[in-house]
Amino acid sequence: MNRKIAALAVAAVVAGARLGADEFTKKDQERWEKEYMSVVTKGRELFTSPKLGTNGVACAQCHPNAANTHPETYPKFQKQLGRVIALREMINWCLQQPLEGKPLALDAPDMIALEAYVAHERRGVKLTPGKH
Amino acid sequence: MKRIVFGSLVAAGLAATIAVAAERAAPAPPLGLPPVPVPAANPQTPEKIALGKKLFEDKRFSSTGQVACATCHDAKKAFTDSPLATSEGIEKAGRKLTGTRNAPTVVNAAYFDTMFWDGRSPSLEDQSQHPFLNPVEMGLKDHQPILKIVRSDPEYAKAFVQVFGKKGSAISMTEVTQAIAAFERTQVAGDSPFDRYYFKGDLKALTDQQKRGFDIFVNKGRCVSCHVIEQTTALFTDNRFHNIGVGINAVQNDVPALAGEFLKAKATLAEVDKKVLADKRTSELGRFAISRGFEGLGAFKTSTLRNVAVTPPYMHDGSIKTLREVVVHYNNGGVTKEGDPVNDFLSSGIRKLGLTDPEIDDLVAFLEALTSPEYASLPSAARVEVKR
Amino acid sequence: MNPTDLAGRRDFLKGMGKAVAAGAVPISLVKLAFADPALDFSFGYISDSHIQQISGTKFVNNWDRGLIRAVAETNMLNPKPDFVVFGGDLAQLGSKPELDHGAEILSKLRHKLYCVMGEHDYYLDLGEYWSKLFGPHNYSFDHKGVHFVVLNSILTHDEWTYNRWPSAEQRMLEMAGLDNPNGSPFMVGEKQRAWLAADLAKVAKTTPLVVFSHSPLQKLYKGWNFWTDDAEEVQALLAPFDKVNVIYGHVHQIQYNQIGRISFNAVMATAWPWPYPNTYAQAEHAMPVLTVPMNRADPFFERDATGWQFVNTTSGRVALEYNLYNNTNRTVAWNPASGKPEDRVYQDPAKQVPPQIHY
Repeated sequence: MNRKIAALAVAAVVAGARLGADEFTKKDQERWEKEYMSVVTKGRELFTSPKLGTNGVACAQCHPNAANTHPETYPKFQKQLGRVIALREMINWCLQQPLEGKPLALDAPDMIALEAYVAHERRGVKLTPGKH
Repeated sequence: MKRIVFGSLVAAGLAATIAVAAERAAPAPPLGLPPVPVPAANPQTPEKIALGKKLFEDKRFSSTGQVACATCHDAKKAFTDSPLATSEGIEKAGRKLTGTRNAPTVVNAAYFDTMFWDGRSPSLEDQSQHPFLNPVEMGLKDHQPILKIVRSDPEYAKAFVQVFGKKGSAISMTEVTQAIAAFERTQVAGDSPFDRYYFKGDLKALTDQQKRGFDIFVNKGRCVSCHVIEQTTALFTDNRFHNIGVGINAVQNDVPALAGEFLKAKATLAEVDKKVLADKRTSELGRFAISRGFEGLGAFKTSTLRNVAVTPPYMHDGSIKTLREVVVHYNNGGVTKEGDPVNDFLSSGIRKLGLTDPEIDDLVAFLEALTSPEYASLPSAARVEVKR
Repeated sequence: MNPTDLAGRRDFLKGMGKAVAAGAVPISLVKLAFADPALDFSFGYISDSHIQQISGTKFVNNWDRGLIRAVAETNMLNPKPDFVVFGGDLAQLGSKPELDHGAEILSKLRHKLYCVMGEHDYYLDLGEYWSKLFGPHNYSFDHKGVHFVVLNSILTHDEWTYNRWPSAEQRMLEMAGLDNPNGSPFMVGEKQRAWLAADLAKVAKTTPLVVFSHSPLQKLYKGWNFWTDDAEEVQALLAPFDKVNVIYGHVHQIQYNQIGRISFNAVMATAWPWPYPNTYAQAEHAMPVLTVPMNRADPFFERDATGWQFVNTTSGRVALEYNLYNNTNRTVAWNPASGKPEDRVYQDPAKQVPPQIHY
C-alpha cells in the first residue's frame, strides 16, 4: 500500500499538481482578482441602474463613486433601523426607502455585487466599525 | 482560598448595600426604558412624590373648584381623559369649556425633552403651572388661590415643611410644581409584550401577527425613525416636531396669513398657551408658535407609542379615533382622506407607504403590544373591525 | 434656528418675549450692504430640483416635494424678495414632461423669475424646449445698481455634444451620471466668453457684479464635474471689477471660496444632497479650505440637507442664508475684516458641530 501511495505522490508532483493546503500561484491570484473585479463591475452596473427600485432612482444619484456609504464603519448602530446592523442591511434600507423597491436577500448575488462595488470604491480606508 | 472567599463575600455584601441604597434613591427603570432623567435641583423623595400626587388631584386649584390635573390626566385612564378628543375644563353657563388639543398621557412624559404638543414648556416643573391659568382649563386669573390653599391647609403646610423646609409665604409655585413633577416622574411604564420580546428575548411574547407588524414598523411602515426603538431601550419618540398632515390640511391656504398674523402679534410664551387652546386655526400652526421657523409649521411633538392602544383618540386634536385610522392616515401619505392634497409643509419623512390591508392590521396588532401590564386591563377600544 | 441677521425691515423677532427660542424664518438671504440703503435688496434662489419622470404623469415624489416646499416658503417671505432665480437642473433627463412639470410647480411663485441653464436641462435637446419656457440661455440685466450676468456654463466640447453619441437620449443619459467616466468637462466656451467680455465692457468697474452660473466657474473636482474648464479665462474677465460674486448650483452642497476679488457661493439643491469630493477616497480634489460643510443628512427625512436660499445684497456683497431642514440654518456672508465669505457661526473650527464632519 505504502509503495502505491508513494508512487502516486511522485506522479502527482511530476504532473505539476500541488499538495499544499493553501498554496497558490501568482496566476491564481491574478485569476481570482479578475473574478473579484467582475463582481465589482456587476456591482457598479447595479449601483447605476434605474431598475433596482420602482421609481427610477439609482444609488449613484446620491452616492457618486459610492461616496458617503461608509462601508468601513459597519457594523454600527444605524439610527434609521434602530439597531446595530451590517452594511448590506443598510443597502436594503436604501432599496426600500429612497428607491421605493424591495429588499434583496442578504446572500443574493446582486447584494454581494453591490457590497463589492461599494467596498472597492472605499479601498484603503481604515476600518472604524461603530463610527456614526 | 479562605482569604479569597472572604474577600468576595465582602465584595458581594458591599455590592448588595450599594444596590439597596441605589434602589432607595431610584427604582430600576421598567424593561425597555432608560433611567428616568431627574434634575439635580429636584431630587425624588417618597414624601415629595406623595405631596405631588395630592396636588395633582386637588380640584380646588380651579376657578369652579371642579377641575384638577387629574381631571384630564386620570390615573384610571392611563392618565388621559380618553375618549375625549379635546379636553374639558371648567364649566361656564352650564357647559364645560373645551380647548383645541387632546390631553397627552403623563405616563412616560418624564422622558420628553419638552412638554405640550408644541413643546412650549421645557420641563415637567415648568409645564404644570400653565393649565391653572388657562381660561378653558382651570380658569384661574393667577396662582394666588393655589398658594393660599397650600400655605393655609394644615395637611399641605405640614407636607411642605417636611419636603421643602418651607412654610407660609416662603412656599411658592416653584415648590408646588416641583412636587407635581416629582410625582409625574414616578409614572413610568414599560415591560410591555414588545419589551419582553425585544429586550428580554421572550419569543412567545408577541403573536406571529405582531411580529409581522414589528417588521413593518421598522421597514415598510417607516415608523421607527420618529417613534424610536433602539438597541437596548425604546422611547418611541424622537423628541422632535413633525408636520404629519393632521389638522393643518384644513387650513392650508390660510397658513401664510395665519403665520403672519401670529408673528405680528408677537405673543409671549404665556400668551401662546392661551392662544393655541382658544383658537383652532392658530392651534394648527403647531410648533411654529414657538420656533417661528418654517420647519415648525403644522408640526407637533412625536408622541410616545407606549400604551397607545388604551389612550384613544389620537393626534394633537384627537381627530383620529382608532389606531387603524391612524395607520391609514400615514399610509395615505399624510392625509386622512385618501387622495386629499398634501400640505406644502409636510414632514419629509412622511409619504405613501403602500401597505396592504393585512399589513395595516399587522401593524395595528403590533401597536397593541406596546401596552404595559399596569394598563393591560383598560379597554383596547382602538381597533375598528375590518369588514372584508 | 439662528437669529437672522436681517435688515430692520425684516425683523420677525423684534419685541418677542425672551422666553421664546430665538428662531427665525429660515431664509438664504444674501445681504449685500450698499452705502445707499435704497440699493439694499434681496432675491430668492431655488436650484437643482431634478424633477424626474417615472412614467406618464408619475414623477419621483421626493424631488417634487423639494421644489414644492421651496416655492411655498419663498412665497411666504415678508417683505417679498425682488425676484427669484432658478439655478439650473430643473429636470433630471431634460424631457418635455419633466420641464413642464417643473415649470408648473415654479409657476406658483409670486415673483419674477430668472432661470439659469443646468446640464440636466440641456443635453437632451440642447436647450430648445428650455428657451420656449424660460428664454435665452445667457443674458444680463441690471437691478438697483448691480449688474447681473446669467451664464450657460455647462457647455462642453463640440465633439462630445454633436458627434460622440448615437442619440440625444444617450447623450443626456451619459451627462446625467455625475461620476460617469464617459462625461465631459463643463465650460463657458469661447463664444460665450466673447459675449461676456462685450457685455462687461459696458459696465463700470465700480459696479458690483453678480454672476449666476450652474457650474462653479472654478476647478474643484473634475471627476464629478465640480469644474469649469475655462475657469481661469472667465475669472480673468471678472477680475477687473471691484466686487464680484459668483453664485452657482450643480454641487448640491454648501461651498464658498474667495479668489482674488471674486467671492464664490454655492447654493443647495431642493432635491438631494451630494457628498463632498474629499469623501471620495480614491481621488484628489481642490475643495476650498474655507468651506465649512453643511450638516450630514438623515436619509429618512427626504428634505434633510436640501434647501433653498435667499440672497441679501448689501454694498455689492452677498450673504446667503441656507435653510437646512431639521438642522440649524447657516449664514455665509461676506466678512469685510477678512475679505472673504465666512460662515457667521461655524467658521471657527472650535465652534463646528459633529454633523459637519464628513468622511
